[in-house]
Amino acid sequence: MLQIEKVREGDVLILQLIGEVDASNSVLLDQSIQESLQPEIKVVVIDGKELKYISSAGLGVFMSYVDDFSERGIHFSIFGLIQQVGEVFKILGLDRVIAIVPDKTTAIALRK
Amino acid sequence: MIKTNAIPLGKISLLLAILFWLALLLVDLVRIFGVINNLDSGISEEVTWGLEILFFFFTYFLYRHIFWKSKQVDFVTLLWRGASTGLFAAIAGLLTELIFYALGDSKIGKDPFLQTIFYHLNFAWSSVFLISTALLWKHLILYQKTKKVVKQWQVFELSMLTALFFIFFNHNNFDYSFLFGLVILLVISILLSANLKWIPYLKFKEKWKTLLFLFFILLSATLLFYRILAYGNEERFQINLTDNLFLMALFGFVIVYGLFSFLVTLFNLPTSSVFEQKLTEALNFQKLSQSIQPEENEEQVLDILVDSCIGASFSDGAWIALNPTEQLKIQNPLRSIEPSTLTELTALLPAEFQNWSLTPTNEFQPYSVRLKHPRYKSALLVPLLVNKTLLAQIVLVKEVKEGFNKEMVNIIGTFARQACISVENHRLLNQAISSERYQEELKIAQRVQKALLPLKLDHPNSFDICAYSNTTDEVGGDYYDTYQVDEHKFVFIIGDVSGKGTSAAFHMAQMKGVFQSLIQLGLGPGDFMIKANSALSKCLERNHFITASIFELDTHSQQFRHARAGHIPTLWYSAQTQSAEYIVVDGLGLGIVRNQNYENHVQEIAGNYQPGDFLILLTDGILESRNDVGEQFGYTRLKELVESYPQLPPVELQQAIIDSLHQFVGGDGMIDDDYSLVVVKFKERK
Repeated sequence: MLQIEKVREGDVLILQLIGEVDASNSVLLDQSIQESLQPEIKVVVIDGKELKYISSAGLGVFMSYVDDFSERGIHFSIFGLIQQVGEVFKILGLDRVIAIVPDKTTAIALRK
Repeated sequence: MIKTNAIPLGKISLLLAILFWLALLLVDLVRIFGVINNLDSGISEEVTWGLEILFFFFTYFLYRHIFWKSKQVDFVTLLWRGASTGLFAAIAGLLTELIFYALGDSKIGKDPFLQTIFYHLNFAWSSVFLISTALLWKHLILYQKTKKVVKQWQVFELSMLTALFFIFFNHNNFDYSFLFGLVILLVISILLSANLKWIPYLKFKEKWKTLLFLFFILLSATLLFYRILAYGNEERFQINLTDNLFLMALFGFVIVYGLFSFLVTLFNLPTSSVFEQKLTEALNFQKLSQSIQPEENEEQVLDILVDSCIGASFSDGAWIALNPTEQLKIQNPLRSIEPSTLTELTALLPAEFQNWSLTPTNEFQPYSVRLKHPRYKSALLVPLLVNKTLLAQIVLVKEVKEGFNKEMVNIIGTFARQACISVENHRLLNQAISSERYQEELKIAQRVQKALLPLKLDHPNSFDICAYSNTTDEVGGDYYDTYQVDEHKFVFIIGDVSGKGTSAAFHMAQMKGVFQSLIQLGLGPGDFMIKANSALSKCLERNHFITASIFELDTHSQQFRHARAGHIPTLWYSAQTQSAEYIVVDGLGLGIVRNQNYENHVQEIAGNYQPGDFLILLTDGILESRNDVGEQFGYTRLKELVESYPQLPPVELQQAIIDSLHQFVGGDGMIDDDYSLVVVKFKERK
């Protein structure tokens, strides 16, 4: 089960992921990001406080946006991951290409 | 060989009936001889009556047998048989009278023997006609029988049987008891005459024939009745065979039921077409409801539907308009309509007729519209919905205004729904067949993929290795492989493709290709990862990546080199410290950074190993398996498990891990991810 809450704060887009991202609903996550990407968005932040689990398919979705975001000058970061999920990012090495930060303020501050 | 045929009941009955008739004749002749010569023949009346009854009985059995054999014969043919028997009997009777009239007062004309013979012949024909016709009526009465009708008939038969023996008590007197019996039998006959269900099923033409044959039967019965009454009034015969209750009641029954049938058939004539119409509709409905046969197709169903609709509504013309987005073609969509008229009529139809993307509701009923066309005045539009999309529309047109009444609309609506169900079933069946084919394809894929995992793992005497892989779907994305570089150098790898199923399986096959080609170049683990990343970057989809863990062992120097690309860290058990640790080394998954930059994200480490040490390479499916409270199997549980079994050979250790995993997940808990396991154990040097 995955629920995605979208919040726009100016040019900041915050997507809160609630539940689990697996092979069956990773498409939903992809669609959700795709839909909310208006040209004026400069910062995309994933709120992972309520993310209980993420499978490789879910990680693949984030990965596929990394290059796209950097080309368009969008700052992308993830915050609030629980330890277990953070570990998954770390083992894959994804923390080297995506900024994983402790909280929202740090995430938004990244643009400066 | 002797054939044990069934007893020829018909022939026996015929023979016995003739024999008893002859006996009856003989007895009467003897009696007349006695009277003429003033001799007492000594033959009592009861003998005659007995023989008469036996004659009736066998005639009855004969005809019962004939009717039993001709169950499948239609009503009109049966009526024709009855009518012909009647006409024969009646004409024979008339001829007899004519002969005697011609003979006049001549000696032969007054000869009592000759008169008796002709009387007996007339009696026989009349009886045969009456009994056969009564059985024909039985056949008609019991058409579509119910328990009640069968009971009624049984009562009638029983009463007739009683009437047969009535003569022994009544001694052929026309008294009140005779009259009483006759009245009762007539009442039952009238009651039985209400059973005329066979008539509506006759076609219009058949009804006319039926009327004719019934008329013949009634005419013959009446003529015979008058003849027999005339005989009864003559005093020249010693024993009257015909004035008995049985025959009189039979006359009554034959005439009453014949008359009822005649009248009902006559009055059914005008409404006959309505019944025929309903019957055709029912047959059409049946045709439509039969699921489409393999050799038939949706177009044929639509063809049947259009014809059924035209038949049900007496339309003057019709056509099918197909939804242009549906892959359907109809050879002849027009019925009694010229293409030029079609264009005219289409322009007159409401705008929504052309709107194929209409969101249909469940109440998609046929609806009628008025037309302002010189020839056609009204139209009925029949939308056909399959899977909630508009498949086609049938347009029925009539030359009269408001030509479609409620009944027609209802029946056409039912036809349309049934046809749609047929088409839908046909599509579902096809889908089922093709999904079956996909299943077969998947099985092939599964076989091919299994072959990608090595059956034999390269290894020397100095270490043991075993591997296990489990996929939840038919195919999966886990990978392991080995390669012997030279006498002392061995490489083994474990990998995991992101995602699941078929796409993961294809990427896994690519990974195998990359490993088998690059490893032959003698690349070390670190360089291998860099080249593999570069190769896979060009062929992996943007949102896919592969994690891998690779080891290169030198059995001579007991050294190893290792690199990890985003994969689950390998568990290393050291015999010396008697503890297990996960090997920590940096490394980014393959295909995440798709440029030269990747070099900065991979690390290679080296070290020594001791005999008794062992390595557990695994994929995340094991660690991420969860029990019923959502807890993961996790790193610690695996580490502790391995530490408790340091002495087990690799295969048994591997089994212990799998068992423990299943136990953790729970009895019927499914492990919903692919998982793989490679166990390597270093042996004592010999």
